[in-house]
Amino acid sequence: MAVDNPGETDTRQTLAPGVSGRPPQVVRSLEESNDGKLLDIKDLTVDFVSVDGRVRILNGVTLMAKKGEVVGIVGESGSGKTTLGLAILGLLDSPPADIVSGSVVFGGRDLLKLKPSDMEKIHGTGINMVFQEPLDSLNPVYTVETQIGEALKVQRKRQDSPVQVTEAETKKVITDLLRNLCIDKPEEVLERYPHELSGGMRQRVAISISTIEKPTLMISDEPTTGLDAYVQNRILGMFSAQRKAGETLLYITHDLTIASQICDRIYIMYAGRVMEAGETRGVLQEPMHPYTSTLVASVPQGFEDAPPLSVQLGEPPDLRNLPSGCKFNPRCPYAKDVCRETEPKLEEIFAGRYAACWRVDKELGRFS
Amino acid sequence: MGDLVEIENLTVAFRSKRREGFFRTGPSLKALDDVSVTIGENETFGLTGETGSGKSTLAKVLVGLYKPTSGTVRLLGREIDYKKRKDIAYLRQNVGIVFQDPVRSLNPSLTVKEVITEALIAAKSIPKKDYDERINFITKLVGVTKDLLPRRPRELSGGQRQRISLARALVVPKKLLVLDEPTSALDVSIQAQVLNTLKKLKSELNMSYLFITHDINVIKYVSHRLGVLFYGRLVEVGDTRTVDTEPKHPYTQSLISHVLTLKKAGLQETVVSEHRPAPSGCRYRLVCPSAFERCATVPHWVNLGDSHLVSCFLYDRQAGKETHALLPTPAAAVTGGDLRAPPHEHS
Repeated sequence: MAVDNPGETDTRQTLAPGVSGRPPQVVRSLEESNDGKLLDIKDLTVDFVSVDGRVRILNGVTLMAKKGEVVGIVGESGSGKTTLGLAILGLLDSPPADIVSGSVVFGGRDLLKLKPSDMEKIHGTGINMVFQEPLDSLNPVYTVETQIGEALKVQRKRQDSPVQVTEAETKKVITDLLRNLCIDKPEEVLERYPHELSGGMRQRVAISISTIEKPTLMISDEPTTGLDAYVQNRILGMFSAQRKAGETLLYITHDLTIASQICDRIYIMYAGRVMEAGETRGVLQEPMHPYTSTLVASVPQGFEDAPPLSVQLGEPPDLRNLPSGCKFNPRCPYAKDVCRETEPKLEEIFAGRYAACWRVDKELGRFS
Repeated sequence: MGDLVEIENLTVAFRSKRREGFFRTGPSLKALDDVSVTIGENETFGLTGETGSGKSTLAKVLVGLYKPTSGTVRLLGREIDYKKRKDIAYLRQNVGIVFQDPVRSLNPSLTVKEVITEALIAAKSIPKKDYDERINFITKLVGVTKDLLPRRPRELSGGQRQRISLARALVVPKKLLVLDEPTSALDVSIQAQVLNTLKKLKSELNMSYLFITHDINVIKYVSHRLGVLFYGRLVEVGDTRTVDTEPKHPYTQSLISHVLTLKKAGLQETVVSEHRPAPSGCRYRLVCPSAFERCATVPHWVNLGDSHLVSCFLYDRQAGKETHALLPTPAAAVTGGDLRAPPHEHS
């Protein structure tokens, strides 16, 4: 069943394929601590082609997730977070998307080289994605029960379980799942259509569709954005429960507070590049890249009489017209000549901590 | 300094669609139930609560999109009669709004520039030759780059769309700006810029804000006073710092303790069940850990000093006062300048 359950293939295989022509340092050191690596993205570059020309959305993104880890991808809108998620799933439409280079190795196979029919088998039970707007991902003409039931059917089929389950049993499984998500009166919710539910409830239904398929890797794209504190807590609590169950989660968000609560490691993205990566606590408490520092400083703290928030000057980057050198340099208060001329590479500063900044001193292991 | 907006015993009920023959028979749903709030000049009043607590309903009443079922709204001393077109026009002249959902609040067939220009045309008070200048000024403030102006909403990201809504509301100066979750869809760095801008604009343009959001971190940072709604009822009002550091109502306490912050590590492991509001009495009593018999009646307002008001019997008892269960009585006098409440309950 290696095809149907890619997550169960020997993870040691990840070492083998597609590593020729890799960029130097970063990949080597990532590989040294390779054991249990479930997802391994190397040098992924994606362009969007339109009549106006080619726009580079992702530029040499290298990222990995170990089994059982919660990995955060943090960045502003337009930083390529969602494109990255879609690229992993093979959901980028081509055209306009054009994958220029790179590899996405999941469970030992390069997903970019898979046939669409093979990729389809990975969707759902292998990799699953929860999207930001649940109204767009739920089918408006089916009830909640039908939609969750459909996912359950797929999961059972892939497991090849010969046991026939009755409708009543299916209903019980779904009801229990919804109850675990703190949905009051799940029996009533089952009968409803997506538009009859509140935003938080819809998102939990969308998440339950993903979880019921028990994916090896779950990608969630801003699942709690715009939801209130209680619902956020419920959803995040659910994700931590899943992590305990050994599931790997790729958590895409622009909200640093949420990332700080749930992620083991985070990648800070800017203009389609990874600017900084490492253990969440380290990155947020002692940021190396000035971009990370400004993100941290942007989180509102204190009361009305507090001083203005320190924010980056200027606007988010226009991907069609990026500056030379470091892409952050126009907004960076510490930019010097070299930053405007040559783009820094993502380098390992110390074990497990990466930054792409000329002003990070490798000897000292910090920003200087 | 007078009060800009006075809202008294405002109730907004939505009738159920269920019909039996000709008559509607279903129970009506009170989205707002006996809410009294005042917003002072140059003040930012923060209103928070969960989804479905009626925050947006209040916002819509203030711009005349919903009519109150009962209660009064006074703007600059003038009582608004929601049946009169002139009064609604007066309301809209002075009150601007930024909606929660930037996708549905922008006309998809207009370019960004047209969307903003529409607001200028509707205001009628600005000469045409000033349009460009105002648009440039406002788009720069909210962080919309010039190249976005000829584009249409669908070409923009959620964050950009919300910034355009903000530009549209601010392009004509208003007395009160209702901000209904204005930054929920924005990136943190843009949110920070917008919050800074809002603070700056408020003092420059002599404006008040009704800032509605579920994000406690944001509301703490922007508002002078804070009101907490639970299923249509205001449960606590007071100075933001006081409400945040010493929340009194059990609901506010629970809400504040669930706020995620950057520094606090680890999630709350306790699972919060879905909040089911009680049909009568204190709406929170079904979930409240300290509910007792008296909570079956509607609690009245208790003044804890410094215009910190809480609608909970717990504090009544602690004050050691002999009070009998009260039904909401019509307001008799203004106390503390904040809320209308029966005068004999105040210590």
